[in-house]
Formats: sequence, structure tokens, C-alpha cells
Amino acid sequence: MMWNAAMEKRILRTFDWPLLLTGLLIPLLGLGVLYSAGYNPDNNLRMLFGLIDSPASPAFSKQATFLLLSLVVMAFAMALPPTFLHRVSYVLYGGGVILLILVLLFGTVVNGSRRWLDLGAFNLQPAELMKIGAIMALARYISKYPPSNDGYSFTQVLLPLSIVLVPMALIMRQPDLGTALVIGGVGALMILFVGVELKVLVSGVVLAVAAAVPAWMFLLHDYQRRRVLTLFDPAADPQGSGYHILQSIIAVGSGSFAGKGYLQGTQSQLAFLPEHTTDFIFSVLAEEWGFIGCASVLILYAFLLYRILRVAAKSKDLYSSMMVTGIASLLFVHAVVNVGMVIGLLPVVGIPLKLFSYGGSSLVSTFFCLGLVLGVSMRRFQYLRGAR
Amino acid sequence: MATKLEKSSFNLGRRVTLATGVIILSFTVLLGRLWHLQILNGAEFRQKSEHNRLRPVFIPPSRGLMLDRNGKPLVKNRPAYSVELVPEDAPDPALTLHRLSRLIDEEPGKLDERLRDTRKRRKFEPRLLLRDVSRDVVAKVSSRKFDLPGVMINVTPTRYYLYGSLGAHTLGYIREITKEQLELPQFRGYKPGDVVGQFGLEARWEEFLQGVRGSQLVIVNASGARIGEYSYEPERPGHDVTLTLDLPTQQAADAALEGKRGAIVALQPKTGEVLALVSSPKFDPNMFSGDVPADVWKELRSGSGKILNNRAVQGVYPPGSVFKIFSALAAIDQKVISPQERITCRGGLPFGGRVFGCHKREGHGPVNLYDAIVQSCDVYFYVVGQRLGVDRIHDYAVRFGLGKQTGIKLVDEASGLMPSTAWKKKYYRDPANQKWHPGETLSVVIGQGAVTVTPLQIASSIAAVVNGGKVMRPQLVKKISSADGGFLDDDFPPEEIAHAAVDESVLKLITDAMVGVVNDPKGTGKRVRMERFPSITVGGKTGTAQVVALGAAKHEHLEDHAWFVGYAPAENPEIVAVALVENGGGGGANAAPLVKQVFEAYFLSTRGAPEQQIVSAEGAKASTSG
Repeated sequence: MMWNAAMEKRILRTFDWPLLLTGLLIPLLGLGVLYSAGYNPDNNLRMLFGLIDSPASPAFSKQATFLLLSLVVMAFAMALPPTFLHRVSYVLYGGGVILLILVLLFGTVVNGSRRWLDLGAFNLQPAELMKIGAIMALARYISKYPPSNDGYSFTQVLLPLSIVLVPMALIMRQPDLGTALVIGGVGALMILFVGVELKVLVSGVVLAVAAAVPAWMFLLHDYQRRRVLTLFDPAADPQGSGYHILQSIIAVGSGSFAGKGYLQGTQSQLAFLPEHTTDFIFSVLAEEWGFIGCASVLILYAFLLYRILRVAAKSKDLYSSMMVTGIASLLFVHAVVNVGMVIGLLPVVGIPLKLFSYGGSSLVSTFFCLGLVLGVSMRRFQYLRGAR
Repeated sequence: MATKLEKSSFNLGRRVTLATGVIILSFTVLLGRLWHLQILNGAEFRQKSEHNRLRPVFIPPSRGLMLDRNGKPLVKNRPAYSVELVPEDAPDPALTLHRLSRLIDEEPGKLDERLRDTRKRRKFEPRLLLRDVSRDVVAKVSSRKFDLPGVMINVTPTRYYLYGSLGAHTLGYIREITKEQLELPQFRGYKPGDVVGQFGLEARWEEFLQGVRGSQLVIVNASGARIGEYSYEPERPGHDVTLTLDLPTQQAADAALEGKRGAIVALQPKTGEVLALVSSPKFDPNMFSGDVPADVWKELRSGSGKILNNRAVQGVYPPGSVFKIFSALAAIDQKVISPQERITCRGGLPFGGRVFGCHKREGHGPVNLYDAIVQSCDVYFYVVGQRLGVDRIHDYAVRFGLGKQTGIKLVDEASGLMPSTAWKKKYYRDPANQKWHPGETLSVVIGQGAVTVTPLQIASSIAAVVNGGKVMRPQLVKKISSADGGFLDDDFPPEEIAHAAVDESVLKLITDAMVGVVNDPKGTGKRVRMERFPSITVGGKTGTAQVVALGAAKHEHLEDHAWFVGYAPAENPEIVAVALVENGGGGGANAAPLVKQVFEAYFLSTRGAPEQQIVSAEGAKASTSG
């Protein structure tokens, strides 16, 4: 397609500015909280090419750098036409599965899990790639074989389900329960979005409950079982598995209405949580900014999700809609599971709060997804001409 | 391949509305839980967070000791009490500080200032208010503990220099790390407030002496009292450093320089091990454990006395006649003169339109090599210098280590200057000044003119002369051992850095003359002889270096520098010692007696008892008849 002045004007007018600004505001707030979480007056971090000395942690400057890189990645993702994405969906998915097999065979072990592929120059976490691959493959499948008005039947739902079950099983083997559940959750939400027959839904719930018992007995590791039990009674073992969740709840609760003030969170600053820059960053926010801070950030997330779903609704082709829906599901699952874990509603599964937690590759992949959404949004008036 | 994407066939808008509902519902559940935790139970959790909290406590490691060569401690640690404040535990810090100031008669503003300096730190971190306070203050503060919320007494190991100012320049001192140092790679892992070696051996061996800080996460309650322990990482004490210094020899050198400006260095010629290294005026490193008053600090840093200057290794002086040893070596080895050839000294030598005088105005008469060294005749060396030329003198002096750093591991060492025609070309940019004048050679050959040396260089180079030409690296550390007794670096073997290829017979001629300097009736260095050890023969050389008057230099600074370098026993030297007294006058009268004091202390400590007891000064005179 050719660029011309009229198109540029239209793109500027129709560009989803609220989505982009919300998507930028959340990681900027996250940086602010990360600054506090890693704050140490003894740090003498050289920042801005040595122009200033700052008491921030190296994580802060790394995250800031990755945020800049993310913008480039986002612009790149925006430029990818949906037809191209549609074409490479299964390739990406297949590549992701192969990488997951490779990681099980040759991956580097960190903290007892085999999650990373050492590619010399950098480490690749195939599971991160798999999330996007699974979303795109499922989107392609659903757009090709959409359900009837009643939704998918038993036999119809098996194939789309297996698209997520294969990577889930591979990721469970690493083991990385959190990411496996995220992919399962995203797949389930996408399928539910287009609809299943009522009896499928009911039997799915029954099956899930029934499967929970043998899964509990055979699939879960000891430490995972403990984490779930902890949820019901964190005080039972305050020095052991319940320690983190208990301390996190104290941190969140002690924030009260308006918080303890920036950089003044005693709970979070004292290294009582080993993951207070990643999985537990929300408790830093909660402690220092209180209910007001938490509610503001959650509302921003809700607004972002709403804007993304709006793009899905307005897109004229089903593939783009489903891909965007999958991305919304991904952000949603991460937000609900992470915050739920931090405030003691869900077991500790160790997944980060997308856009907010410290972590370069997670940030970059999320902005890639936001770029895809913005790309779909931009092209909603020329979807048919876009196809060659 | 069909690339046309499928159009939506069903109502997405309805589904999006439904999904939005799910999102709102889920987030409402999350917000509900947050409301429950933060609003309904916020106060309870706030209290819990204050009651049940972890506080990092750093356990400073005890710094490694420094011992003399026989294992006698020179530097130890002692407990020091400091007064600290945890702002979080003080409801009204200003009031607490006010009460504390009143209690211990401290200027009220000073403590506030201390607190202001640490404003950036977090509220639960203790702030240092007073360092190394007396037991009296500790007792006062402890008894009024309940009136002083947030104030605590902390005990930390502090450096203790057992002999005060003894060898202060060598041992060095420790002091709080500076902002600039925190930026340096070698101080990675240090925190503001850490004390580090800032000078001397304390600085040079910091990485071994420091040890590793331990840390502890303790669970404390609202009033800061410890109610449990969460994690504990034990500290590791620093390594002990055994020095080559010999305490009695060091003490004698220190006493000899009392009230003078100058330096004394004593070392073992065969190993390069330094037995004593003293610079005067000196300071007491113990004062750095407390707060150093600004005026004292200023005087130390930039006062006219240059107290922190380690004159033994950083001070550069013209060597004067001590340098004649190297001129003589060059002359004989290069055969520009035979040992027997006599040159007549008439008290001066006319050269280039002026007269170069000898220190003995009436002249020494005809002198050969031996006489010239023993009586330190300048005219003899003027003649020798003309025959040699400056570059050959330079060559021999450099072979023995002059004009460059000795490589002692202590502080930034001065390299001194050994001039040559090449040096002059390099040093002066104006071609008119680049030419070497023969008259300058006459100054250089007697250790004047542009020649400068450090006392350590003289000790080290003369040690090489009496050690068959082997130039040994001066060493201050014998071994470094970890506190549990395991050796890290069990010894520092003698290191030969150069071998001055000079014929043995030539060296013998020179050392014979040096024995004459001390033992010949006409010798200039008789005052180094040890009455208490008559059987130990001493050799040496005096030096009286003229101080060049620069412009409006003060009168007292025009007095000559007194030098003496000696070694003993002459036949098998165990010790070489050099004494320099700034503006001390003649070397034979003012520096040789100091070297004698050092020698006597050394032989007393190694031989056990003096050969002859000297009861009093008068008795000494009577007993020297034999």
C-alpha cells in the first residue's frame, strides 16, 4: 500500500490515542514504583550517560531502557499487516512448540526450572513467544472455523482446545505452572468469547473440578501444593511457605487509604519479599500509595482492556478480532492472577503484572502485542484492500 | 493461496460488552478485597507492619592486625561506642536531639547537622550522631534511655595504634570512605560510613585488612527491640599483616628523629626487608577514630610542616656527598682514574671562569680514592667528574636504583631525579637551555645541582653496593595470614629487581673506603661508631647537602640537609640505615649519631645484650680509651 497525505490524515485522526497513552502511562507508573522498590541511598547509579547519579537500582535503569526499546518494537508490530500475521500464525505456533521441546532438552536451569534457551548473545524464554504464537494460531483457527450461533459443540471444541493444551503440557514440564495456566486461561477465554454450547460449558466446569483431584495428587509439585494450602491459612506457617503471602498482605493492608508515602514503605524496602520488583511489585504500590494508588492502577488496566476489546469489536475481519481478543485475555489473566496472588485471593503462582513488573522480555513482548492491537485499529477501514 | 480474511459473521459488539462486564466484575472483586485489607483492616495491618518488621543490621568485620617482624602487635582493634538515632523510633527527633545535646554538653546545632546530612536515607536506618564516645557518655545516655526515644548505643571495633605516632607514616590511618572513593572500582561493595585505609599500609593493604561485613535481618518490634532473627550472614575478619619492621629498631629511629624534620630508613641489604621507616614530623593515627577538629585536619593536610608527607619515600632532597659513592664507582669501574692516583686539593678548583670550592677551604692536599671518600674531598670528584662526563655518572647511579621508584608497596613514591644530557634535552623546551654545561657535571658528581633522591632510594642503593650489586625491592610485608591461621600468601620472598654489573673488586675498594669514613682518624663519620658494640665494624658515608636558596626563601631554610648512610657489620652487612635531617647542618655531626642509635637498637634486639655497658655519658668517654 502507498502512503499519501489523505491516509496520513486519516490515520492520525483514527489512531487510538487513548489506548496508546494508557499503555504508556501504566509502565511509567510501574517505573516509579520500581524506583522505590529498588531505592537505596547507597546506590550511585550513573544514569543518562553519566550525567546524573541516582539512588535508583540497576533494575530501574534497565527497565527504563527496555521501555524505550519496547516503543521501537511496538512501532514494528504496528507495521505488520494482518494478512501477513494471518499467514505466519501456524508457523509461529509450530516454531514456539519446537523451541519449547528444545528448551526441555537443552535449556538452562534457573532455580530448578528449565525455562531459558541460551543463545549466546541473549537468553530466550520460548514460553513468552509461545503466548503470542498460541493466540495467533487460535485466532486463525477460530476465524477459519467459527462456531455456529449455539457455539462450539463437544467435537468442535476439541481441536481449538488442543492448540493450547500442547504448549501447556510442555510448559508444565519445565515446570512453570504460572505460564501454563496463563496460556490455558487465555485459550479458554478466547473460546468462550466466540461461544460454546451450554452443555460444553457445564461439562467443562465439571471436568475441571473432577480433574483437580488427580492433578492435585499427581501433577502438582510439593511446593505448589503448599502454596495453594497456604492461601486458605497463611498464618499456619508464617516462616515457611506462608511467609511471603503473609508479608505481602501486611504490606498491602498497611497501605491503608492513602499509603505510607513514596519511598517510605517499610515492608517493601526491607527485602522481606524476594520478588518485590517483579511478582510482588503490586504490594509495593499498595503499601506506599494505599487504596487510592491500587484503585487508580486497576482502573487504568480496566480502561486499557476496554479500549483493546473496542478494537476487537470494530475490526472488520474475524482473525484480527480474535487476535486482539487474545491479547486482551493475556493482559487480563496476568492482571487478575498477579494482583489476586499479591492480595491473597489466589495461590502464589509467580507470574508478573504485565507492563508493571520488572522484566525486559515481558515488557517488550507486551508492547509487541499492543503494537499488533494498534495496527489492527489503524487498518479497520481498509481491511479488504489490505489483502492482495 | 487465499489471503482474503474472513469477515465477521456474528455480533462482536455483544460479546465485547459481555467481556467488559467480566473485566469489571473481576476488578471489582479485586478492589473489594483491597477495600477489605486496606480500608477496613488498614489500621490493624499498619500496626502489624510496624510491630513485625525486619531490620538489616550490618556487623562490621574486625580489621586485620598489623604485627612487627617478630609478631609483636603494632595495630589492634578496640571496642568503640557510638551514639546513633533511628528517626522512625523518635516521635520528635528535634526534641530527642535537644535533650541529648543537653545531657552530654554538646553544641545543640552539631547533632542536628549530622541528622540533616543523612536526610536522604530511610527512616528506619540508624544515623550516626557521635563516633567513639567516652564511657562516661555511654553511661549517661544509657541511664536516660527512656527520655531519648530512638537513641541507641552501638559498639563497633575501632583501630588502636598501640604505639601512638610510632611509624604513623608507614602504618597509615583509617577514616570514613569519601564520596569520590565510593565511585572507584576497588571500593565496590563499600557503603557510606565505612571506614577504610586512607594512608600508608592501611590503604595499601586495604583489601586484605578490611574483611567482609556480615549482615543480619532481625525482626524488631515497634520500639526497635529485637524480637527475633530472620537471616544471618556471619562477618569475616580481615587478614593479619605481619610487617618486616622490627619494633625496637623502629622505636629507636622514631626517638632519634624526635623534634626534627627528616626521615630514617633501615633495611636488610640481602632481602630488602625494611626494618624501620620513620618520617618526622609525625601524627597520632588514633585521633582519626574520633572526630578530627577542622583546624587539626587543615594543619595536617596543608600546613607548612607537611606532616602527612612521608619524607622517607615522598621527600626528594639533593644527596650531597653521599652520592660520591656512585661517582667513585663509575670512575673506578670506567677506569678514568686508578685507585692510587692522587689529585691535589687546594680548597677549590677553577672551572669555567669561577672556582668550585671544596668544603675544606684550606684543602685536603694530595688525595687518592680512599682519602677522597674518607674525607669527602670535593676537588677530587670535580676532576673525576670532568673525566667521566655526566652520562656515565647517570648510568651508574641508575644501575643502583637512583632516579626511579624503588617499587615499595606503601604510597605514591617519589622517583627523584638523576640528570643526564638526554634528560636535559627532554626537560627543557627552549633549545638554548637544552645544552648540558660541563659545570653542571661538577655539581652532579658531588650530589648537588639537579640530582634529587629519596631517603629510601639511598638506603636501597647503598644496600645494593654492600650486597654485591644486587638491587633488592624494599619490602614492608613479610606475610599475610587469615585470622583462622590459614596462610593466604604465606610469604613475600626477596625480590631482586636489578643487578648492577660492577666488578667485585671495585665494590670492595668502595666499601673499604666507607669503613674508613667511620673508622679512619680523618673520617667524617666517626660519630656512628657503637661504643656498646666495639666488635661490630660500621661503614658509611656522610652527606651535607646544600639547599639552594630560591628567591626570598626564609633564612632558616638555607641550612644544609644532614645525611648519613651506614651499614653494619662491615664484613657481612645485616642492616643499612640512612638518616636525613632537613636543614640539620653537617651530616657527620647531625645525621651519623641518629644512625648509631638505630644500629644500637637493632643489635641490642638481635644480639640480646650489649658487649659493653655504658653507665653514663661520662663513663662512656672514659671507656672509649681502649
